[in-house]
Amino acid sequence: MSARGARGAGVALVLLLAWLVAYPIGLVLLDAVRDADGWTLAHVREFLARPRERGALWGSVWISLATVAGAALVGVPLAWATSAWAVPGRGALGALLALPAVLPPLVGVLAFLFLYGETGLAARLVQAALGLGEPPWRFRGAGAVLLVHVYSTYVYFLLFTRAALASLDPALLEAAASLGASRRRVALRVLLPQLRPALTGAALLAFMVSLGSFSAPYLFGGSFRVMTTQIVATRLNGDYALAMVETVALTAVALLALWLFGRLDVAESAPAVGRSGGRLRPRRLRGAARWAAPAALWLAALVAVAPLLCVLLVSFVPLGGWREGILPRGYTLANYATLVADPVRFRPLLNSLWMGAAATAAALALAVAAAVLVVRRRVPARRAIEALLALPWAVPGTVFAIAIATMFSVRAPWTGRWVLVGTALILPFAYVVRILPIVGRAALAGFRRFDPRLEEAAASLGAGRWRTLRRVTLPVLAPALLAGAALAFVGAYGDFVVSIVLYTYDTRPVTLEILGSLRQSDIGVAAAYGVVLMAIGGAVMALARADR
Amino acid sequence: MSRRVAALLGAGLLLGCAGDGRTPVVVYSPHGRRQLALLEREFERRRPDIDVRWLDMGSQEVLERLRFERVNPQAAVWFGGPTTIFQRGAEDSLLAPYRPAWGGDVDSSGIGPGDLYYPVYRTPAVIAYNDRLVAPEDVPRDWDDVLRPRWRGRVLIRDPLASGTMRAIWGLILDRSLRETGDTARGMAWLRALDAQTAAYTLNPAILTEKLGRGEGEVTLWELADVLVSRARGEPFGYVFPASGTVVIEDAIALVRGAPHPEAARAFIDFVGSDEGQLLTARHNFRVPARRSLPADSVPAWVAEVWRDMRVAPVDWARLAREGAAWMTYWDQHVRGTGARRGGA
Amino acid sequence: MTPYLAVEGLSRRFGGVVAVEGLTLALARGEVLALLGPSGSGKTTTLRLLAGFEVPDAGRILVDGEDVTARPPAGRRFGMVFQSFALFPHLDVAGNVAFGLETAPLSREARAARVRELLALVALAGLEHRAVDALSGGQQQRVALARALAPEPRVLLLDEPLSNLDPELRGRTRRELRDLIRRVGITTVLVTHEQDEAFELADRVAVLRGGRLEQVGTPDTLYAEPANAFVAAFIGQGSAVRARLVARSGADATLEVAGRAVPLQGARVAGPLAPGDAVLWFARPEALALAPEGAAPLAGLVRERRFLGATARFVVALDGAGEVEVQAAPAAVAVGARVGVTVRAPATGVHLFAEEG
Repeated sequence: MSARGARGAGVALVLLLAWLVAYPIGLVLLDAVRDADGWTLAHVREFLARPRERGALWGSVWISLATVAGAALVGVPLAWATSAWAVPGRGALGALLALPAVLPPLVGVLAFLFLYGETGLAARLVQAALGLGEPPWRFRGAGAVLLVHVYSTYVYFLLFTRAALASLDPALLEAAASLGASRRRVALRVLLPQLRPALTGAALLAFMVSLGSFSAPYLFGGSFRVMTTQIVATRLNGDYALAMVETVALTAVALLALWLFGRLDVAESAPAVGRSGGRLRPRRLRGAARWAAPAALWLAALVAVAPLLCVLLVSFVPLGGWREGILPRGYTLANYATLVADPVRFRPLLNSLWMGAAATAAALALAVAAAVLVVRRRVPARRAIEALLALPWAVPGTVFAIAIATMFSVRAPWTGRWVLVGTALILPFAYVVRILPIVGRAALAGFRRFDPRLEEAAASLGAGRWRTLRRVTLPVLAPALLAGAALAFVGAYGDFVVSIVLYTYDTRPVTLEILGSLRQSDIGVAAAYGVVLMAIGGAVMALARADR
Repeated sequence: MSRRVAALLGAGLLLGCAGDGRTPVVVYSPHGRRQLALLEREFERRRPDIDVRWLDMGSQEVLERLRFERVNPQAAVWFGGPTTIFQRGAEDSLLAPYRPAWGGDVDSSGIGPGDLYYPVYRTPAVIAYNDRLVAPEDVPRDWDDVLRPRWRGRVLIRDPLASGTMRAIWGLILDRSLRETGDTARGMAWLRALDAQTAAYTLNPAILTEKLGRGEGEVTLWELADVLVSRARGEPFGYVFPASGTVVIEDAIALVRGAPHPEAARAFIDFVGSDEGQLLTARHNFRVPARRSLPADSVPAWVAEVWRDMRVAPVDWARLAREGAAWMTYWDQHVRGTGARRGGA
Repeated sequence: MTPYLAVEGLSRRFGGVVAVEGLTLALARGEVLALLGPSGSGKTTTLRLLAGFEVPDAGRILVDGEDVTARPPAGRRFGMVFQSFALFPHLDVAGNVAFGLETAPLSREARAARVRELLALVALAGLEHRAVDALSGGQQQRVALARALAPEPRVLLLDEPLSNLDPELRGRTRRELRDLIRRVGITTVLVTHEQDEAFELADRVAVLRGGRLEQVGTPDTLYAEPANAFVAAFIGQGSAVRARLVARSGADATLEVAGRAVPLQGARVAGPLAPGDAVLWFARPEALALAPEGAAPLAGLVRERRFLGATARFVVALDGAGEVEVQAAPAAVAVGARVGVTVRAPATGVHLFAEEG
């Protein structure tokens, strides 16, 4: 592909991404300033005038910032501990600590209720142990939401930091130490800057997840308000115009965050192969740390895995079987039986799988094409492409779903709109756009880290561009791409905010079965579905790591 | 790995393409799997040429779906939800007129203008409680009883923004205030007092069931059908009809405008309100039929009890439809969370 | 005789910076040329231009009579060994070596046989299935070499082939590399900044400075007949002092250095120099000798002694002139003493260059 061809491809990709990502959002945001009589700012003024609205927006912002801080404080030290310390069972610990990534939606958050709610397992344990007459706490309010968020997002910091530490050259740390820097200075002035790309990537992800999070504030928020729940409340009240303004406000915050994180971020450029640089070797601990550190880590792993175990436990509990006492009274396999016995109930599992796989594959292809054009060929449109790849993060799930539904509910081909609502295509289509940011980011980071000498070597051995891509670039990038794809896949088949707006009979996903079961108070069945989702998620994540 | 993915994709596609020659009727409904699966089975037994496909979602979500699918309607029947929501659908030109075979046997106040929707069930609100934790003499008998000190911090409330029934109850309180004082202030004060009694607002029936069952609250205001279904599954729940009268929501059914296969859709609508349909859901799902002249000996005992014990409070539905949104906004902004609660949040 | 590999007037700029300017070289078939020069001299750029990873602004590259200037790297059939080896991490040793053979019309057995042949050539027989990141630096280099040679390229390009190895390994590897290249008989261009390496590996050496070719020749020629002061200083040892040419007759000349007259017998004069010209007088240490002060044309203070075992080099600060390095017996004189410096006759190892601006 010549330089001109690459430029053309770049423009084509920008147009495609703009159509996929920016167009639907734009259509919906216009509604915020439009009325039956034309353009108006009345709704905007209404929004700004209400302290509850402003309070909800502020709530969203600060809880997201707090989540990033909390997740970093948990995830980064854990990554360091499992990479740099020679603790027995390091590998198992690392895997267990990463498991929260496969916690299914809805049921996962419910698990918190069963564990940490005022009549939950942990509360009852503490109550019994301390001989209290009343539950020791109420799992409610901003603190509870923060805990759930930190739990869900620390995994990003853990995984990204661990990957960065694996390719860190320890000579840098040793050099700093030999120049008289204390451990703290080494950490702050040498280690953290090396970790910067990983940290900003994880921070961005954690921020966006928290900003768009719905189930946790919904269930545990109490009187703590955030924008996502506020939008739903407003829509339930029928005030669509105000809901749109609220959406715009939330999107504006997200865009601002995207821009800010973009400024903080720095492109990586560490060469890959053949250099005989050292690797971070885990070091033995001495003294009290030798037993204290493993104990603390295993305790952390237990806390990490507890909600998942709780879901597993609940899946075996018949209705009403866990009311009094610390543990359930009786166990049953009936919940699982319902799953497999009825093909109608089993079908959603297959639906979610194929839609998730198809969406991930399509998103990967787009992301690799984008990365080649942005990093390798450096087309003029590269900034636009990068921005568009990250844009879907800025929009909360429900809004995005409504945007897609609005856009594709009208037949107007000359404005790029077809009727896709009600077809089997629209949901996987929406998934592709939703997971594009994470796959795109993995692809861009991978290509940036990739040593261009490898491609030159392939060229000097007679491989043309296509063969080089197929036989060298993609296989070397595979681990990074697969890791991003695994997270994306888990995100796609675990989605419900988008699915609930766009699914059809033929594409109904598992998460909606879970939702339906919860609406019928069939918590056990919902948990059984949740366990299946966890198993699939765990398998996918394990596959992605094993391919390294 | 790519081979495995391809196999899965293939399997998925194959399963997806399996059609079987029956006429599909897509139903959007909030009634839930149990009821819908039952009706589907019984209807398909009588009409094996029709394949009922139901999608389970809240009534608000149905409305939005129908809006998006206006140009390419997927659903044939909208089955379930308060008539207030159906009214919005009617105003949005989303419904098609159809008078079912049983159309003359229901209360005309629940019928939509131009036959756009018909009531199928009546959903009364009741005061429900955990009968293991609440002694019979303590059970609240009326709305105002719930405000007694005994229940401070012990009341669970389904979030009114999400529940049509709760909105209706709120509407009842505010309507009463308007009739008595010409103003909603007293009604809002009552609701504020209720907020002080409230241990938690829950959004989800499963959570409500769990919390009430575990004793995180003792009293709630709920729909009769849900209480009876939970009881049938072993939950320790009891209920009373408020002495001064309760709200009864008319739960409707309608034909979607532009529905594919309208003939089959009409057949389904006819079935739901037929004698068999109404008795089926009364027996298994505890839905109070909207039909007035069902054979008395086949009606389950609890329905007879309801018809006997229930007192319906007058509610100005038209006003509720007009001003309900503004009331809810005010309540959400100025009343929710303002009553002092035990433990705070 | 037409050269096998020819470079004509090659130029490349990056922004406003000249990387390579007007470079012209010719190699015979099977010849080994080293590009030698300090960092920033353009040698790596030249190599990358040859490989095709950079496109020249001007000039041509011809191989076996064919103009390959516009050909992309994949079509040139030039094998390249990178400084960092750039082995494919996802392929094992055999996979790396066989990579260039994948598009060749060979059967699987033929390909495997060729891999075995090459691995034997680089003394890595039996390591086909080893992972490349489990190899030592020296082994990795040999795999890189085998990989480059497998598709029978026309020219072999080596970028600082030994700089990534441990110093102990370098000496031995240098000899092995030289023998290997000779055995294969492939036309080779290698880049290095180490003079010893260039001399040992190459038939001819091209000295580059600032993107320009200063001189190309055999090591002997470069040492004995440097074209200018830069080359003279870069190759081998020696010191340069400013002087004025007073008289000249045939191979003899007389210089004036800081007011003293220095006679030279049989010195090499580079360029048309006439009496009265300012010159740069370059002398190898072994061309100078220590003498009692007063008995020599030059005198100065001994600043430093560099002990070399059998001999020593004395750094003498001349009165009124610069410093010179003189080779003498280790115990010849003490540091800090004053001593005379004289030029041996005949003055081989002494060169006179026009003074550069």
